[in-house]
Amino acid sequence: MEKQLLRFNVNDQEYELFINPKTLLVEALRDHLGFAGTKRGCDTASCGVCTVMVNGMAVKGCSVLAVQVNGMNITTVEGLEKDGKLDPVQAAFLDEGAYQCGFCTSGMIMSARAFLNETPAPKDAMEIRRGIEGNLCRCTGYNSIVRAIDAVAKGKYREGA
Amino acid sequence: MTANKYSVLNTRVHNVDGYAKVTGRATYTFDVKLPGMLYGKILRSPHPHARIISIDPTEALKLPGVKAVVTGKDTLGVKQGIWRRYPELCDEQILTIEKVRYIGEPVAAVAAITEEIAEQALDLIDVLYEVLPFVDDPMEAIKKEAPMIHEGVERNVNVTRHIEWGDVEEAFEEAEYVREDWFKLGGQAHMCMETRATVASYTSDKKLTVYTSTQSPYYHQALLAGVLGLRESDIRVIAHYVGGGFGGKFELDASQFCASVLSMKLSKPVKIVFTREEDFIATKRRTPMFYYVRTGVKKDGTFCAREARVFTNGGAYTGMGATALYLTGFFHSFPYKWKAYRYDGYRVYTNSLPSSSMRGFGAPQAMFCSEQQIDWIAADLGLDMIEIRRKNAHTTGYEVPGQATIGSCGLGQCLDRIEEWIKARGTLPKNRAIGISAAGFMTGGIFNWFDSPYSFSSAVVTINYDGVVELHVGAQDIGQGSNTTLAMICAEALGVKLENIKVHSGDTDHCPADLGAWGSRQTLMAGNAVKMAAEDAKKQLLEFASAKFGYNIIYDLDIKDNWVHNVARPERGMHYADLVKEALRGKDGQRIIGRGHYTPHRKGMISPAYSYMVQAVEAEIDAETGKLSIIHCTTAHDCGQPINTLGLIGQLEGAASMAVGYGCLENMPVEDGKVMNPNLVDYKIIRAPNMPECEIIEIDTFEPEGPYGAKEAGEGLTNPTAAALGNAIFHATGLRMKQAPIMPEMIVNAFKEKKKEGGTP
Amino acid sequence: MSLKCPVCGKLKKDPVDCARHMFGTGDKPHKAWFETQGLSYIDLLLSQATEPGNKAYIEVGELIARTQQG
Repeated sequence: MEKQLLRFNVNDQEYELFINPKTLLVEALRDHLGFAGTKRGCDTASCGVCTVMVNGMAVKGCSVLAVQVNGMNITTVEGLEKDGKLDPVQAAFLDEGAYQCGFCTSGMIMSARAFLNETPAPKDAMEIRRGIEGNLCRCTGYNSIVRAIDAVAKGKYREGA
Repeated sequence: MTANKYSVLNTRVHNVDGYAKVTGRATYTFDVKLPGMLYGKILRSPHPHARIISIDPTEALKLPGVKAVVTGKDTLGVKQGIWRRYPELCDEQILTIEKVRYIGEPVAAVAAITEEIAEQALDLIDVLYEVLPFVDDPMEAIKKEAPMIHEGVERNVNVTRHIEWGDVEEAFEEAEYVREDWFKLGGQAHMCMETRATVASYTSDKKLTVYTSTQSPYYHQALLAGVLGLRESDIRVIAHYVGGGFGGKFELDASQFCASVLSMKLSKPVKIVFTREEDFIATKRRTPMFYYVRTGVKKDGTFCAREARVFTNGGAYTGMGATALYLTGFFHSFPYKWKAYRYDGYRVYTNSLPSSSMRGFGAPQAMFCSEQQIDWIAADLGLDMIEIRRKNAHTTGYEVPGQATIGSCGLGQCLDRIEEWIKARGTLPKNRAIGISAAGFMTGGIFNWFDSPYSFSSAVVTINYDGVVELHVGAQDIGQGSNTTLAMICAEALGVKLENIKVHSGDTDHCPADLGAWGSRQTLMAGNAVKMAAEDAKKQLLEFASAKFGYNIIYDLDIKDNWVHNVARPERGMHYADLVKEALRGKDGQRIIGRGHYTPHRKGMISPAYSYMVQAVEAEIDAETGKLSIIHCTTAHDCGQPINTLGLIGQLEGAASMAVGYGCLENMPVEDGKVMNPNLVDYKIIRAPNMPECEIIEIDTFEPEGPYGAKEAGEGLTNPTAAALGNAIFHATGLRMKQAPIMPEMIVNAFKEKKKEGGTP
Repeated sequence: MSLKCPVCGKLKKDPVDCARHMFGTGDKPHKAWFETQGLSYIDLLLSQATEPGNKAYIEVGELIARTQQG
């Protein structure tokens, strides 16, 4: 199959790749660009560990082809930290111990970040739970993750808070 | 709750690996890439039982990019197993040579320059099978006419276990009420987020480096040495970050074995990562069981006698199955005092995926039967469900005859607090009820079935010039937070702040041997080793402080929060960092090194210590659809002394999510030897919207055998939930659910049966 | 109707209880008795332990009763 040119922005940096058009977004990120923070955990787009943001929207990296995001802005977990400062979601995860083995954590944090960008003031815990419904976690039982997201939503990590 | 008398223990701290995990910097075996690395894929048997006549790799080897194909004939053919002390239980070659015994069993492995080419090559390997009659049901496998799965194993029964005390017959005569019930317990998949994964790199100086997702680097080092004909010390196992284990990652699996064999053939690194489907069909799962229980009690609820008979579906190979068979029978007596008890367990080979160990190790199955039957007995006799348990509960100092001495037990307080909690919930709406289950669990095992010559746990503490402590442990962090827990114990014992501790684990080249993360052993066993090492180092440091201060001999010195001081006059002292520098000079530039180790001696048949808990599950049942909503889950929990506060909460909530799955979600049907739902669409694990709020009521006791009185928290917590859920269903609807997981169809059918019979089932 | 265990002579209160006792001890002499009757101990044990209703106890109990009558 003929390779195609892909130009996209990942974590505020422009990249150009010449790849097989069958390449999944998660494969382009991990294997071609070295962003190993994003993981893979299934072949049925069920687990969510490959979640990244595409133009700010949470997307499973295994469910889109890399060439489909040509010209778009991708954010992976590596792109959340800015100038050595953790994103509030990351800080909240640390404070709440909202991870254990950590394999689902990158995808979970991306889903949480995208959810809060869209819904900065969730009306209750169930809304938060629905926001991360697409992400499986085998270790935590989700509740610490919900607490972390809730803390961010309640403004605990606001500048000057 | 009493004020915390410790500086570091039982405080909320950031997990020492947290920063790496939340920033995507943690490197799992899944991420490992080495120069010149090849990709491996495994060819698996499509038949549940067949003889291998021939394997022809010719066409596969012709495919451009394919570097090697190996079969069992390219290996030493060693029949290995984790119960190394008992060769008859070492029955698995992994790359099997003569016969396949389950669908998915490896018969060949390919290494190629890409994963895609390796996958294509599998189709080109020509395997000739002579299909044999198979049997995937233990009830059929045990019949005279059933095919023999392993040569010489009569009736396919390869392990039997027997536990008995008292005179069971006499005790049943004394009983005033007897109840017997039959149960069917399903299997369960570990379903770690990171599937089995290994990168093996052999170099022609006969050294092998293995990156693998493991719960015990030491076990894998030793097991690989045994099957590859290498010295243990020439094998380095590295596991810096592991994406979950839950009991499925401490036995040798095909990713480690095949990657190593291929790498040894090619002297190149080979990476094998299981697909999610492979992880479902070809790894060892929780052991499915059939349980018969007969229990005799007095009319006032005093327990007299119990006899249990269990047949387990062992699958094709033994693995840790012998342990699960014993523990299920042992914990089936927990946590109560029985005048007489008899358990007979039988493990049956079948042509299905092997069953082995999974968090809880036979106890979740045991509790589902025991705790539900106790509720049914209480209901039959008109007794209170808390009172009947209180009457018979274990107490500190109790001796389980011939089996164990209970060093600490907070069960009574757990029952009291849950009773209060239930009262406070008040009257519940229709079709909603609270069910409880008590449980107790082991804190590591005493039995050396692995036949290790090393201490069960070891630790080394080395103090640098700047006061930072290099803590080397063999204990493996698989997400449960052992790195953090052990760092906390080290900091507390040495008297320094947590930020001074740097943990080294997950590398057999640099860390002492440790049996690893299973049986909920590490906080106690590795914790004791760490405490000993830290105290050794502290003692050496304080020698220099004593000399410096020249206090009267009656005064003690100690270190707390980085402050070295006179215990009687704590304002008098010096900074820890300054003492370290002086000690270093005093020792001619040599760092202080402290050593510690722990191996249980004379601690009974099972474990040096037992955790206790009582869990209350509030659930609502939809009579129309049979669907369950779990509203709330509250656990009164005795783990002696909590060490890692956030870790403990995480273990409680995480265990509950897994146990709820066992109770009502994770159905794993196997038909004709085939796993019917080997993917995450059809195998249902709990998602965030369905997870109930979990509350923990901490009951502090003090376990003499544990570091600072600590004992396990994490595996025991998977034990009660399925039973508590069953009891909630019973109290809400009167239905007695005798099969786990409890699927909606079962509830609907049970309602129909009840209507037909016009009364209680 | 009370019966004596055909192996150890212990008096049991009824046939099912006698069968229960024989399975329960599970020792060599008790197991051997099953073979002498042309029965498979392990097959009966499996059925008793995995199928609700104690069919195995009932069958064995009836057999013991018959052998002691005749």
